Amino acid sequence: MFSRKQNSQASVSSDMANKQKRYEVLVLALHTDIFRYACWLVKNKTVAEDIVQETFLRAWKSLDSLKDEKAAKSWLITILRRENARRFERKQFDLVDIDDVSVIDDQLSNEVEIEHRELRAVMGSLSEEYREPLMLQIIFGYSGDEIAEQLDLNKNTVMTRLFRARNQVKEALEKANVNRGRENG
Amino acid sequence: MDELEFRRTLYADPNCNDERVLAAINDDPKKQEFHKELKQLDKSMQLASQVKVPDDLVHKLILRQTMQSHRASKVRNRIQLAMAASVAFVVGVSFTMWQQHNLLNIADQAIAHVYQEGSYALEAQNNVSLQQVNAKLAQFGGEFTEELGQVYYASICDFDNVRSLHLVMQGENGKVSVFVIPHDDAHNAKSEAYARGYQSQAMDAQRASIVVVGEEGANIQGVKEQLKRKIHFSA
Repeated sequence: MFSRKQNSQASVSSDMANKQKRYEVLVLALHTDIFRYACWLVKNKTVAEDIVQETFLRAWKSLDSLKDEKAAKSWLITILRRENARRFERKQFDLVDIDDVSVIDDQLSNEVEIEHRELRAVMGSLSEEYREPLMLQIIFGYSGDEIAEQLDLNKNTVMTRLFRARNQVKEALEKANVNRGRENG
Repeated sequence: MDELEFRRTLYADPNCNDERVLAAINDDPKKQEFHKELKQLDKSMQLASQVKVPDDLVHKLILRQTMQSHRASKVRNRIQLAMAASVAFVVGVSFTMWQQHNLLNIADQAIAHVYQEGSYALEAQNNVSLQQVNAKLAQFGGEFTEELGQVYYASICDFDNVRSLHLVMQGENGKVSVFVIPHDDAHNAKSEAYARGYQSQAMDAQRASIVVVGEEGANIQGVKEQLKRKIHFSA
């Protein structure tokens, strides 16, 4: 009887160790992309960090329901989007624009940095329905089909939104160029 | 593929692998240029999107979950302990109650029987012979091996839905009622009772329980001993 108890305890703790390992692999592999996506979703780094923490906590609690590691990315994105929606149920925050946020390319040349800052401002100014599929494509390299599935949308709708998103980005950049040309000239 | 469709498709996905799109790009240097431009834009957006991740985020994510699971396991242990304790408690209490409730107090039952019956048996004045008593007792596999003294009444009767032998006989001071009831685990064969001016004691006699009921003050013990000595059950 005692030996049986010990065995079951041992298997419980080895289950726990397995879970812990799976979780850590998940965090290490995906937290960067998930955090960046959250930043673009909520356009505020502090809020994004909170949501990411909530997301991974939920992921930990229901890790057993994740059967296929390949589905981990879309599973986490789903949790993240739900957490974000929950935040809106609670309270609407004042959000700081993404272009105030420091980014990884600190070391880049001034010119490129200015260009990226401009680009971030443009991307941040897209409405959410355009920004979300675009960022899924840019950050996670999702295909149209995958985005459609993730956002629960028709593929044609997704493709149209992606088209409009890039179209708006291009137009905004061209307009900025013209303006800058005018100011410079 | 016309120009508009081409542009729309590439705008939606610059890395599109559609054969018609790729063919169109191959055929037309202008489209090649357009494709390159779009890819460059994607590259820039990709770089621009790379928000710096806080250095401690990984540790926070892993630490928080460790604390959470630690807390959860502590709570789980407490819950398990509490559940085990309450199950043990309920089992203990219900077992005790079951024991107390389940055993029929046949001494009580016998007084109730005598009381309900009233004078019918107690005032009977028949002179029942030992043979007659034994003839009835034979149903239960027993017999009295010696004379019992004066027996006024002997009859098979219903004792709480069990067929039993009801005797009324002369005790040392006054009549006593005697019930011979087939043995049953649900009977408490050691019960005693006092009620309504009667006292009653039960005892175990091999294959039966015997209950003696007399008026208060009667020598029940003596009757019990006498009966125990004289009754005999075939194995």
